[in-house]
Amino acid sequence: MRRRSRGITKIATTLLLAGIAFLFAFPLFYLIATSLKTKADLFAPVPSLFPPAPTIDPYISVLFTRGFGGLLVNSIIVGVSATILSILLAFAICYPITRLPASPRLRAFVLNWALSLRFLPPVAVVIPYFAIVRAIGLYNQLPALILVYTIFNLPLAIWMLRGFLDEIPLEIEEAALVDGASRWYAFWTILLPLSRTGILAVAIIVFAFDWAEFLFAFILTATPQAMTFPVGVQGLVTQFEIIWNDMAAGGVIAILIPLSLMIIARRHVLTGLTFGVIREK
Amino acid sequence: MKLRKWLAIIIPIALVASACSSTSTSSGGTATKLTIAAVQGVEDAGLKALAPMYKAQKGVTIEIVEAPYDDLYSKLVNAFKANDATYDLIMMDDPWMPKFGTDGSLSDLGPLGIATDPDVAQVVWDVGTWPPPRGPVPPSETSKPKQLLGVTIVGNVEMFMYRSDLTPTAPASYDDVLANAKAQNKPGELAGYIIRGKATNPVVADFLPILWSQGGDVFDENWNVVLDNDASKAAISFLVNDLKGVAQTDPGNTDASDRDKIMANGQGLQSSVWPGEINTAVLDPAVTKVAGKVTFIPIPAGKSGKGVGMMGNWLLGVPKASKNQQAAADFIKWMLQKDTQMTYAQNNGIPSRTSVLKDASLTTANPYFPVLADALQAPPNWRPRTDQWNAVETIIGTHLNKALTGGETADQAATGAAAEIRTLMKGAGYPTK
Amino acid sequence: MTAAPVQPFAIAARIRTAWIARSRQEQLVYKLLLPVFGSVFVIATIPFILATIQAVTSDSGEFIGFDNFARALSNPLLYESLKQTGLYAAIALPVEILGGLGIALLVHRTVRSNVARAAIYIAAMIPIVIPQIAVGVVFRLVYAADSGILNVLLGQTGPNQPLWLSSPPLAMIATASVDIWQWTPFVYLVMFAGFQTVPSESVEAAQVDGATNWTQFRHIELPYLRPLLLLVLFFRIADVIRVFDHVYVLTGGGPGTTTQFLSLYIYRIGFKFSDLGQASALAVVVMVAMILFYRIVSRFLPADRA
Repeated sequence: MRRRSRGITKIATTLLLAGIAFLFAFPLFYLIATSLKTKADLFAPVPSLFPPAPTIDPYISVLFTRGFGGLLVNSIIVGVSATILSILLAFAICYPITRLPASPRLRAFVLNWALSLRFLPPVAVVIPYFAIVRAIGLYNQLPALILVYTIFNLPLAIWMLRGFLDEIPLEIEEAALVDGASRWYAFWTILLPLSRTGILAVAIIVFAFDWAEFLFAFILTATPQAMTFPVGVQGLVTQFEIIWNDMAAGGVIAILIPLSLMIIARRHVLTGLTFGVIREK
Repeated sequence: MKLRKWLAIIIPIALVASACSSTSTSSGGTATKLTIAAVQGVEDAGLKALAPMYKAQKGVTIEIVEAPYDDLYSKLVNAFKANDATYDLIMMDDPWMPKFGTDGSLSDLGPLGIATDPDVAQVVWDVGTWPPPRGPVPPSETSKPKQLLGVTIVGNVEMFMYRSDLTPTAPASYDDVLANAKAQNKPGELAGYIIRGKATNPVVADFLPILWSQGGDVFDENWNVVLDNDASKAAISFLVNDLKGVAQTDPGNTDASDRDKIMANGQGLQSSVWPGEINTAVLDPAVTKVAGKVTFIPIPAGKSGKGVGMMGNWLLGVPKASKNQQAAADFIKWMLQKDTQMTYAQNNGIPSRTSVLKDASLTTANPYFPVLADALQAPPNWRPRTDQWNAVETIIGTHLNKALTGGETADQAATGAAAEIRTLMKGAGYPTK
Repeated sequence: MTAAPVQPFAIAARIRTAWIARSRQEQLVYKLLLPVFGSVFVIATIPFILATIQAVTSDSGEFIGFDNFARALSNPLLYESLKQTGLYAAIALPVEILGGLGIALLVHRTVRSNVARAAIYIAAMIPIVIPQIAVGVVFRLVYAADSGILNVLLGQTGPNQPLWLSSPPLAMIATASVDIWQWTPFVYLVMFAGFQTVPSESVEAAQVDGATNWTQFRHIELPYLRPLLLLVLFFRIADVIRVFDHVYVLTGGGPGTTTQFLSLYIYRIGFKFSDLGQASALAVVVMVAMILFYRIVSRFLPADRA
């Protein structure tokens, strides 16, 4: 009896999961399908599920004809730099409050302040940031984006890193200190290697969020020298033209890079996503 | 201190690396590069074709930075507010110019060498002049001298298109339009009239000619709001009740590209149309199914008796903050020359010279050019010249969209929009009642 | 104790004694923390200050007090926007959180093969990394009437098809569905990892005792997951209130003002109306409200390990 009901449950859950998987995969599939359509396909009175005559012209158009390759490079530069900076700053803030005897009130203050940053709608601060960036002469320069992205990702980075650092017992460092090592030596040779997983996880998540950011990139840049890829792709949505195939190609390209990164480092990312509170076995 | 050392190394490297990828802006001397902020889409196609020509002739590189319609407006507003020198030339939709003129962000082109030319319709010079030579002038601007702040680069006047194979006689008024629509409308197969109803700018662009043709308006000569008088209310009702009854399935979500698609697929009878969008679909041999069956005419007259078209020229202006004033103005002058305009027209540009528009060699590829020339001479109406236009358009557009999607009645849309506009204009210092 | 004829001396002396009294370690904390945290704090707070300044001055720079605030708060469209944002959150959040939790539970219980788990994991990553504009346009292509694929697949074509983007109730559902599509996988990933670390002994013990699936979940696993669940919930609330990108592309705030959520409303005031004074006033109000909301909420958050 048990076996039969188990069998039915198994089928039912498999179907349920398959159904959910299908629902989630469908928009992605349609994005790819659209990216392979020709202009004539887009004009068909009834849209088709599969591209009737698949072509990679949209990809060529996006990367070369429209010159978005340069924007892609900008996105990579900004993403990598902002991620490095985020981690450095997050470390500089997390270390004192996790590895040193900071008062609980201070610790709570820092963490709560970091989380409260996330409650801020970017639209509300975009104009003040524009004014600041203009004032310090960084308008239409990549460093402006790097700085702004770093600040906006700091809450996430701090919370995630804190979780990882909390996992590592204080005793390990204490032992080294008692043996006469300087604090920095202990940090460099003991703590850092142990937190490698956490750092990598934070890095990938932060990079993924930086990669897709649009609003600040749009407001703080004016020419392709500093524009990022999402800004370029957004420009393909116009009032008078139907170039969804190019736009879809842009979307697919934009997915591929962070996705490959995530696949390569999947174990670390999973741990990172649980803010280090929980560690995967 | 290892952490600090790392910081000290990595951050400067990152900053330097990113700074190296940015080119330096030229300072002083003769300009070798001009940066133009342009609208992404069909309107700057001709401009893109002109850029290499200019470089070949004068040795000046033209860098075109594109942004979609709404985004371009925000970009320009921000750039002007910050007195930014990034752009040497800007493309602006003519309704934006009043704001830039009021804010004093643009240079007077007269002293820079641009003179009016009779081969270009007078309305083109008028629309680029601030304060406007006719119609109500914003109170803060009445004492300013008239300056030429923009020159037309895309000679857009909104027109009308219809399937001449189905209705051989051109509609002479909107009553004809409605009658034809009712006669031919087959829900699901052929829309009697394609409404461009997407919120804010799209629906207002489609609606204003209807409003004026019925004798209504947004403001009167003294900036009083008349959007809720009888004629205006009738026009709104005409749009959201009569025309909607014979429209396509989802007017509230239809933008220009959607209506072109419907028309090109033979699923629509008639609609308003901008010259710039005609070649993207309806006359594009690769996608059109109605080749040779569509005729273009000026906007039909209404109860007022006058066929009141609406102009939507894209102007080229020079920001006061640009460091290459004369070079920018020279480009504009070059762009206005007849030979340049001919090449421009051959590359999907919409010229403004009458002689070019009536040139026989261009008419085959662009059958609407002669119609456009006549429309420019009419002259067509323009949108109210106020720095608050973007806000006004947003208000009207939201209410019209709401009415089109069943959220309120035509009357409510009229009174609601009128009330909001009154509050807005009074807050901005206009003597609105 | 020094007899202090001048007050500042006494205070300074007291601070100094207190500082020396701290252990060297604690001093280190402040020495390390203050520069970095301090500068970040300042940088992050400057926009708030700027926004406040902008909110109380007119365009020409004179101080006009609370005029902008009065205008901002007396605009009925603001309250409609807040209402719509609340509705949006009420639809999207439960589905995301419960859905993510439910799917995680399902996979945790029934999917055994590591290959399958890895595959699901990678698939769940995609909605997180996709650019918002692509999300918006794809869903427009799915939901649009007449040119969208959904109605075609449902067999609903012709004049009476559901207008997903133009009918107010449907538009709200359509926009919420995009949010759900994008973020349920995120909740799933977090919760799934959480399930992995519930100690297996407790689970086995419960099963030996004959606990049903539901009891097992409720009494063994849920307590372990609670802190994580709360954390995810608050991050998602923060994000849903800030939503902008995909809504802007999908409906532009329409039909009418149905999907004009808070961020879109501020965008409209600041960018379309160019009313920076009012937009800044709104920004300040939002920020203050958020801080207050957060103070209340932070009591429940695991800011510190128990």
